[in-house]
Amino acid sequence: MADFRTEVFQNEFLSDGATDVHAIVTVTSSGAGTAATSSGGIAELVIIDTSGSMSGPNMDAAKYAAQVAVDQIADGTWFAVIGGSHVANRAFPYPNAPVAIVQMEPGAREEAKRAISYMRPSGGTAMSTWLRLADAIFAEVPQVAQKHAILLTDGRNESEPRGELSSAISAVTGHFQCDARGVGSSWEVAELREIATALLGTVDLIRNPADIAADFKALVNESMSKGVADAELRVWAPQGAQVLFVRRVAPTVEDLTARRTEVNALTGAYPTGAWGDESRDYHVAVRVASKPVGSEQLAARVQIAVGGDVLASGLVKARWSDDSSLTARINPEVAHYTGQAELASVIQEGLAAKASGDEATATVKLGRAVQLAAETGNEEATSRLRRVVEIDDEEQGTVRLKRNTDKLDEMALDTASTKTTRVRR
Amino acid sequence: MDHVVTCAACGTIAEDGSKFCEHCGTPLGAVDPAPVVAEAVPEQPATAPVCRACGGTIADDGYCESCGEPAVSERDHWSELPSALVGGVCDRGRRKSRNEDAMALALGGPTAVLVVCDGVSNVPDSDVASLTSARAARDVLVTGAAGSTVGTWSALLVTAAAAADQAIADAVGDTSDRAEPPSCTFVAAVVDGPTVVAGWLGDSRVYWLPDEGAAHQVSVDDSAANEMIARGVPRAKAEASREGHAITRWLGPDAETVVPSTGTTRAQGPGWVLACSDGLWNYCSEATDVADLLHRTIAQVGTSPDVIAAELVRWANEQGGHDNITAALARIATPVDTVHTDEAVPADPAPTAA
Repeated sequence: MADFRTEVFQNEFLSDGATDVHAIVTVTSSGAGTAATSSGGIAELVIIDTSGSMSGPNMDAAKYAAQVAVDQIADGTWFAVIGGSHVANRAFPYPNAPVAIVQMEPGAREEAKRAISYMRPSGGTAMSTWLRLADAIFAEVPQVAQKHAILLTDGRNESEPRGELSSAISAVTGHFQCDARGVGSSWEVAELREIATALLGTVDLIRNPADIAADFKALVNESMSKGVADAELRVWAPQGAQVLFVRRVAPTVEDLTARRTEVNALTGAYPTGAWGDESRDYHVAVRVASKPVGSEQLAARVQIAVGGDVLASGLVKARWSDDSSLTARINPEVAHYTGQAELASVIQEGLAAKASGDEATATVKLGRAVQLAAETGNEEATSRLRRVVEIDDEEQGTVRLKRNTDKLDEMALDTASTKTTRVRR
Repeated sequence: MDHVVTCAACGTIAEDGSKFCEHCGTPLGAVDPAPVVAEAVPEQPATAPVCRACGGTIADDGYCESCGEPAVSERDHWSELPSALVGGVCDRGRRKSRNEDAMALALGGPTAVLVVCDGVSNVPDSDVASLTSARAARDVLVTGAAGSTVGTWSALLVTAAAAADQAIADAVGDTSDRAEPPSCTFVAAVVDGPTVVAGWLGDSRVYWLPDEGAAHQVSVDDSAANEMIARGVPRAKAEASREGHAITRWLGPDAETVVPSTGTTRAQGPGWVLACSDGLWNYCSEATDVADLLHRTIAQVGTSPDVIAAELVRWANEQGGHDNITAALARIATPVDTVHTDEAVPADPAPTAA
């Protein structure tokens, strides 16, 4: 069984009358094992876009990547391959096969790779059908605890109303995890982000079709290395308190506030998906009733639970003081991640403003992003921003929008906006 | 439990004849094998502790499961009620991280005994010093009560203070050589019939608060404030001054003298004897103010001394709770009908946790 550990970073001292308590809770797992050792096993789906737009190098590269992914899937893992256009088709097991999903073994691996080689591009793109078919296939193996899909597209979800995709996403949320990848510059970051966010996965841009295979290989390997199928973050707050937000802030920013399900009247659970040996940071903010100077109280218990058992608990405290040297101190972790979360949102808002032709807003937002990236030491974000804006003054956040930017650079900035750097300790 | 020795530092029950605590190694010499008449700090409850703020359950992590209030240790807050007419509460207050106040109350034969010690703030182990000395003094007073008359109480208070001082030396051991050894104030009141005899070192106080008529402070603080008052500085100004709280006498390894001053008063009618630490009287120093507060409190919560004391402590916390707070009360019902005659001592005088 995996070992979970929590570490809390906060300034517990509040000034007289203050009510809001912020803390960064680092959750670290060790001894998680691998998917092969996890009870219940693992199921892996590869979903690749077979719409007409994929014709040419994209299709060839995607098929090759799917074959590489199949090579990485360990024997014993339940798996299937889906080809998606305006409809979804099961490519393997073959559509006429009596079962929808099989366990990997050498014969199945060869046959699956052959099936992938038969995939041909045609038709439009309706990703809701892909997700619903994946959900139906996963439903065939209810005993499997850990279910993961990789989804690759090169284009917009143009064959159906946007609402169709959103309702499919909410229908399958909680059933499996999904990493979403876009190849080229014709797909919509917001669409794949919606899928990946709801399904506890990542979204990323693959500039060059030749790189798909390496990415798929890494994704499958990572999925295979997660030995804890499903953990939930629990946040207890005292009677009368309000949980302002719960946010994962590392390795990427993800607001979990709306994902709360109730454990009891004072405790909410937030999904975190599967865990390998890794470390994640969460930002928890709680509003409590102010107490007299000198009082202490517990503002939150932040816990990790697997299968209903709490494996680790971190305590977030509040102590009211009239010593301003204590209360004025801003915790460096809280400050860092507050900045990084704002960075993610101003990048997204800035790019959206730019796309809609609102250059004034785009300039202000991306200028703020440049400033935040510098303040929080996020050099990768700074270098991505440089491809989209001319930086006049990093400290002041004064920038000018570049003319004729590469669409891929904007998409790369957008998809990577939620990636955070950790505090140097 | 007629003969149980508990470690003053950690509360572990010692084996018969042990000189040191098995659990923490603190010397146990402070406690004579004389019978201890009244229990002081109650045993740790076996069931899950209850939150004092909301009545919820305290979780294993030390905070309430409902409201998040931190658990208070028995050392941080306890209540004693050795008889229906003698009771008190000792509390950490709001601002201090430790409770360095202590009290030890008893009914010894016909005599009520109140001892309050206030550990010198921010000196390590002052909480140990105050508790061990309060108990040692109480035990001397209870044991000596049988042979005492009104005329011999002052001498017994001197003996009690010496025993309390010795108890500190025994409890803190080697730490007595430190630059700032553990030390505490001392005030004891014995109530024998209508007579109240107080002995003190430092600024913990005894007040006589009659139901009718003028209240007064029986003790006289050994404090810089009082020296200022003696020089003509107004009381309020002296007590509010920065150096006013410095005490000029105390118990502990660095004390110059451990002979307490004593004072006696004779009740002319029914009333209350209050022994308290500065955590209470800082918010109501004048005897008339204390009396008003007491009478208002009784009007609200009734006449049980532990309940009154708890309310006084709550009031002091409401004023800011800047220091540890101790309030111990003994009732003189009528000048002739004394503490012990009209109320039986409960068979098991278990203190109630407030």
